[in-house]
Order: sequence, then C-alpha cells, then structure tokens
Amino acid sequence: MQELVTSPVIQSSAAPFVVGLVVACILFPIRLAGLAAGAGFLAAVWMIGAFGLTPLTATRKIVVLAAAAPVVGVLADMAFKPTRATAPVLGALFAAASVWVFWSVLSQKPAAEAALLGGGVFAFVLATIAFTVSLRDRAVRAGSAGLFLGLGVGVGAVLGASALLGQYGLALGAACGAFLLLAMILGKRVVAGTTFTLTASASAALIAAGALILAKLPWTSLAVFALIPLAVRLPVPEKLPAWLQAIVASLYALAPAAGACALAWQSSRTA
Amino acid sequence: MRKALLAGALFAACPLAAQAQAENYKVDPIHSFPNFTVDHFGVSSIYGRFDKMSGSFSIDRAAKKGSVELTIETASVTTGDNDKGSRPRSRDEHLRQADFFNVAEFPRMTYKSTNVKFSGDNPSEVEGQLTLLGVTKPVNIKIDRWVCREHPMSKRAMCGGNASGSFKRSDFGMKYGVPNLGDEIRLMINFEGYKE
Repeated sequence: MQELVTSPVIQSSAAPFVVGLVVACILFPIRLAGLAAGAGFLAAVWMIGAFGLTPLTATRKIVVLAAAAPVVGVLADMAFKPTRATAPVLGALFAAASVWVFWSVLSQKPAAEAALLGGGVFAFVLATIAFTVSLRDRAVRAGSAGLFLGLGVGVGAVLGASALLGQYGLALGAACGAFLLLAMILGKRVVAGTTFTLTASASAALIAAGALILAKLPWTSLAVFALIPLAVRLPVPEKLPAWLQAIVASLYALAPAAGACALAWQSSRTA
Repeated sequence: MRKALLAGALFAACPLAAQAQAENYKVDPIHSFPNFTVDHFGVSSIYGRFDKMSGSFSIDRAAKKGSVELTIETASVTTGDNDKGSRPRSRDEHLRQADFFNVAEFPRMTYKSTNVKFSGDNPSEVEGQLTLLGVTKPVNIKIDRWVCREHPMSKRAMCGGNASGSFKRSDFGMKYGVPNLGDEIRLMINFEGYKE
C-alpha cells in the first residue's frame, strides 16, 4: 500500500483522477463539479508531500495560488454574476500574483532581464486565464482545455528538467480529465463555471511559468500552451453527443499541447 | 592594589586582547571543495562536489575559540555527468533545477559556525547552521585533519585539513527521489586558508 501511495505514477495520475471524479460526481447537482480540478490537484500535492509554507518558495506559492483559485472561482460563480470583464479581470489578478510567486528569482536578476521575464510571464498567465475562463459556460470545451493544459504542461515540465512541476501538471490534467469524463457522460448537466476554468488555467499557467523560470522549459512552449484555450473554440457540431464533442475538442486541444511539448523536446536536444 | 587588579581584569576582558590571539584565514577557493556522496538506489554511491566555495575561518588557540563562515555557489554542483549526450538533460543539469538545488531561486548555500570544539590545541568539531533552500538547520562537522604550516613555496602562513559530516536533505525540503535516491548526504570537505 505504501508503495502505491509513494509511486509518482499513482500520485500524478490515478489518485488525482479518482479524487476529481468523486468530487465531480458528488457536487455536480449543486453546480460545483468544477471543484474536481482543485481537489484532484491538491490531493496529488498532499500525496507528493509538498504541502508547506516555510520557506515560502516559488513552488509553494504556486500551490498556494492553485488552492486559492477554486475559492475565488466559487465566489465569482456564486456571489457575483459573471460578466464579459470577469475573465480578463481574473487573468490580470492572477498575472499580478505571478510576479509575487516568482519575485524571489526576479529580484536577483538585472532589472531589464527581470522586467522582460516578469512581463512575459504576466502576459502568458493573463492570456491563458482570460481565454480559459471565458469558456466557463461550455463545460466540454473547458474540460478539454483543462485536460491538455495540465498534461501538456506536465510533460513540458519533465522535458524542462523538473519532475516535481511535471507531476503537478500531470496531476492537474488527470483531475481535469475526471471532470471532462463526467461532462462527456452527463452533457450540459455538468457546469464548469469560473470554479473549474480559473483553477485549471491558473494552476497550469503558473506551473508552466515555474518550469520556465525554475527549470528549462523554453519560451516558445509557453506561447503555444496559451493557444490551447483558443484551439478548443474551433467549430464542433452542437448536434453531436457530448462524448463526441469532447473527443473533437480534445483533438483540437491536443494539437497545441503536443506542439508545445515538441518545442520543449527540441529545446532539450539543442540547449 | 584593588585598582591594579581591576585594571588587569578589564584588560583581560577587553575584546582587543582576545582579538590579538585570533588568527584569521581566508579560504583558498582552488584548494577547498565541499564534496558529497549520496546513495543511488541502494546499489552504489554517487560522488559530487561544488566547484565554488568561499569564506573564512578564525582560530584562537589560547582561548580555544574559533569560527567558520562558508558560502557555496549551488550552480557549481557537479557529479561528473554534465554532458547530456542523447538524453534531454544531464544529471548535473537536473541537480540545478527546482527538484534539487533550485539554483535560480537559491543561488547560494551558507554554513556559519556557532561553536568550535577543541582537542588539545587543534579544533576537532564545528557546530553550526547550514542554510540550504531557504531552510536553516544545525549541522555539525568533524575536523578529521588539521594542519597549520608555512606554504612551501609562497612562505605564507596557512591552515587547512579535511572535515566530514552528514545531514538529511529532506530536512531542507529537498525530497525529490527519496528514498530511491538517498536522503542522507555525507559531506567530505577539503579546505585550505591563508592567514590574513
């Protein structure tokens, strides 16, 4: 049993998937199936043994924001009526928080390099979150985006020489996959909302930025990862059953995710 | 008589008097390296070292006191595998990333003594605090060899020797690969310093 719990494969795939599925199944009647992403991801972090606040490293700050995202998402869904401005505002909020996350690294760099790096990460986090959160009313497309944001960032981080961030990304992908599975089965009865879209996009964007700053994921991969929430907007016939829509949307998401990983692979061969 | 005794006591307690006995040494970076070894899958031991270490130490034989301050550049870690060949990353490259030494966020680790124990006239053990990955914990270092002499060529006064110690890397938050990659890090430090 102990070997199962400590196995990286279980920690970053089966466990977050099962936790995400259970949470989604229990909470979908009250429109909170989107908590699957955060629950599965945080379960994986707990199993990996990476919970902790001291010292508050960049990696730990990523977990702090990943834990805050579903809380903010639920508030946005329940307490406020989402508007067109919700997605960019939340994107800007978490993009600003990304500067805090990576301040310990940015503050050690020359001002121009820090501004370029911090500004680039800010733009990436803002774009990824804004594009994904605006999918909040389309559960299948949001689930596909979350699945491949997580898996893509996970594989990219491993190629960028960070196994821990890789595990985080893969765990997030598995948890989003659990949400998508329920959406494939139940269709429009499953709501993504800001709860799911913000958690999936903020966590994935920060993990990818971490793999860039703390490891060796190339810039080009981040730029392509940001295309995932755009790719799932490509046409999908609404008459198709939900499971088939999910497959089509996932194929759309797979293309930029695979492209970003290919760039990471290429970078690891040449750098 | 009482005034003379008081003046004598004050003189003895004066820091300047103590400093007069202390000898300060600057670490010679090209002859001082922190080496380490860690268990690999319970099969063999991987050896590595940090190529860049700076700092100083002092010794006051009369007062049986001393101090050590070392700074190690974490990016200088090497285990002999810096050529990735056909692999995505070499081991040394991986050691510099967030899973291990996280050099982007923590470019330096430091060791600062809190007490130096003596055996006769020579220091035998250093009690101190190691700061690694933002975590500070006590780590004691045993001085296995201590020699002071004149450098045979430059004729400068020097001291140096070999020291050893150990700690658990997980205590500092470096948990990646434990237990397959050993948790206990054994340190073997060779050091030389020139008198200032």
